[in-house]
Amino acid sequence: MLIELSGVSKIYNQSRANEVRALTDIDLGVEQGSMVCLKGPSGSGKSTLLAIIGCIFPPTSGKAAIAERQLARLPDRFLTLHRRETIGFIFQRFNILPELTVLDNITLPLLPLGVGPKERKQRAQELLERFGISHRAQFPAGQISGGELQRVAIARALINNQPIILADEPTAHLDTALSREFMGIMQQLKATGKTIVIASHDPLVFEHPAIDRTVTIKDGRIHVP
Amino acid sequence: MAQTNFEKQINILDYALSSLWRHRMKSLSILLVFAAVIFLLASFQMVTQALSDKAKQVLAYTPEITLQKMSAGRQEAIPLAYKDKLAGIFGIRRVVPRIWGYYFDEVLLANYTVMGMDVEEMPEGSRLDTALASGKMPTPDEQGRVVIGHSVKKALDLEGRTTFSFFRPDLSLKTFTVSGEFSRSTDILTNDLIVMNLPDARDLYSIPAGKVTDLCVYVANPKEIDTIARKISEALPGVRVLTRPQIQKTYQVVFGWRSGFGSICLLSALAAFVILAWDKASGLSPEERREIAILKVLGWETSDILAVRFWESVIVSGLACMVGMTAAHIHVVYFAASLFRPVLMGWSVLRPDLHLLPRMEAGDILLILAFTVIPYLAATVIPAWRSATVPADSALGG
Repeated sequence: MLIELSGVSKIYNQSRANEVRALTDIDLGVEQGSMVCLKGPSGSGKSTLLAIIGCIFPPTSGKAAIAERQLARLPDRFLTLHRRETIGFIFQRFNILPELTVLDNITLPLLPLGVGPKERKQRAQELLERFGISHRAQFPAGQISGGELQRVAIARALINNQPIILADEPTAHLDTALSREFMGIMQQLKATGKTIVIASHDPLVFEHPAIDRTVTIKDGRIHVP
Repeated sequence: MAQTNFEKQINILDYALSSLWRHRMKSLSILLVFAAVIFLLASFQMVTQALSDKAKQVLAYTPEITLQKMSAGRQEAIPLAYKDKLAGIFGIRRVVPRIWGYYFDEVLLANYTVMGMDVEEMPEGSRLDTALASGKMPTPDEQGRVVIGHSVKKALDLEGRTTFSFFRPDLSLKTFTVSGEFSRSTDILTNDLIVMNLPDARDLYSIPAGKVTDLCVYVANPKEIDTIARKISEALPGVRVLTRPQIQKTYQVVFGWRSGFGSICLLSALAAFVILAWDKASGLSPEERREIAILKVLGWETSDILAVRFWESVIVSGLACMVGMTAAHIHVVYFAASLFRPVLMGWSVLRPDLHLLPRMEAGDILLILAFTVIPYLAATVIPAWRSATVPADSALGG
C-alpha cells in the first residue's frame, strides 16, 4: 500500500472549549497506481483526511504511513519535506495566484528546492505542451479561461514528478464539460502510474469509470452502506 | 548542497522581487515614507558634519586667548594699559587690541558684527586678510575703509556702489568705503562681519582713547594655552579669559544641542514610521493569507516564507537608503540644506548663505543604517513570523 491509515482520528483545538472532532477511527489503504474518491457532504471530514494524507498535519491519534513513512510523530518541517517529494496538490478553485504568470505558478513548488530558472522553465514547458497550453506560458494566470486554469493547476501538481496526486473538490466550480475533461486527464495520469485521491461529492467524479474505489465519509467516519 | 542552497536563496529573492512588484502600491508607499525618513536623518547628519567642519576651519582665525574686562557681571571696555601687565608672562607671542561690537540696522532689522583691529599686528596663520576674496584690509592710516562679508554686501545693496554710512551713538553719520570682501569659504565667521581699523571702530562706537572691547592674545606654543590663561587670570583679576578650546567647546555645545534637538524630532518621525511598518507587516489581507497557505501546501517551509519577507524588507530598505541618501546629498549641496537652516543656523539675524560641503563617514552611514534599516527589518520580519505560521490547511476546502 502506498497510503495506509489505521485508526486515524483528528481533533481540532483539543481540550479547548471549541474542540471539534473531525475524523474518528479511519482505516484506509490506497494501492499504488489506483484512483480513489473520498465522497461525502461538506463538513464531513474529506478535506481533513486529504490534509493528513497530504502531510499538512499529522493525525491526533492512529497511524498514517505515506510511501512507507510514518507521519504521526514527524515534526512540521519533515512533513513539509516529505510533502514536497511525494504529494502534488490540486485545490478547490485551483488556488492559482492570479498576478503571477502561468509559468511562474507552475514552477512555484520548485523554488524552495533550489531548482535553477533554466531547469524550471524546461520542466514547466514540457507540462504546458503536454496539456496544450504552452502559448499561455507568459500570460498572467488571472487572464486565462477556467479550462486552462485547471490544466495549470494539474501541471503545478506534477512539476516535481510526485507519485501521489491529491485533489480537493476539483470540479466544484467547473461546468460539466470541464469536469469531464479534468477526469480524462486524471485517467491519463493514472495510466502513467500516479496514485490519485480525489475528495468530491460530484457524481461526475465518483461515478467515473477510472475511479477504482469510492470511500464515503460521513460525520468524520467511513460510512459503510 | 551549498549550490542548491544558494540557488534556493536566489529563487526566494526572485520571488520577493516579484511579490514587491505585485503589491507595488503598498511597496511604493512604504518605500517613499522610509526614504523620506532616511533623507531627513542623512541631511541632518550631513549638515551637522559640514557645519562642524566649517566651524573648525574658521576657528583658525580666532585668537588663542581673548581677554574681556568684566564689571558687575557685564562686559565693559578694557584699558590698553593691561597690555603692559601681560609683558612679563612668558609664552605670549603677541597681544592685539580689538574692538568687537554689533551694529543694528533699524531699516533692514539686521545685526552686523563690527570688528576694529590692526590686522597687520595679527600673527601669520591667524591673519584675516588670508580670508579675503578681493581687495585689501585697511591699514591704521586708512580712515573709513572697511572689508565686508557677503551678506553685508547683499543687505546694504552695495552691488553698484562702495560707500555706506552708519550712525554714531550721537546720531551723526560716519561714512565707510568698501576696500575688500571676504571669501565665501569663511562665511560662517565673516558673513555678517565688517572689519575696519581700530580708530574707525573707536569713532563709530564712541569708545574713549586708551580702551578697547577685548585684547587678543596669541601664544608661542598652543599646548601652553591653559597655563598662560591661568597666569593671565592671576595677573589680571576681574578679566574674563576665554581660550580657543573653550570657544570650540561652545560651538560644539551649540551644534550638539541643536543637532540633538533635531535628532529627537527626527527619531520621533522614525518611530512613527516603524509603527506604520509594523502595522503594515502584521496586518495580512485575506489574499496574502491565502497566498501563504498555498505556498505552504506546495512545499514551502515557514523559514522560506520568512526569507521572502526578509528579502522584501532588505530590498525596500536598500532602495530607501539609496534614494534617501542621494536626496539628502542633493538637498545639502544644491539647496544648501534649506529645510534645516532655521534649526541649525539660527544664531545670526543675517543668516549665512553657506555653501556646505556634505561629509559622511562610514560610521555615520552605519549609524543611519542602524537607526533605520534594523528597526525596519525588526518591524517587518517579526510580524512576518506570525503571518508565516498561517496553517497550510486554510488553502483547502471544508
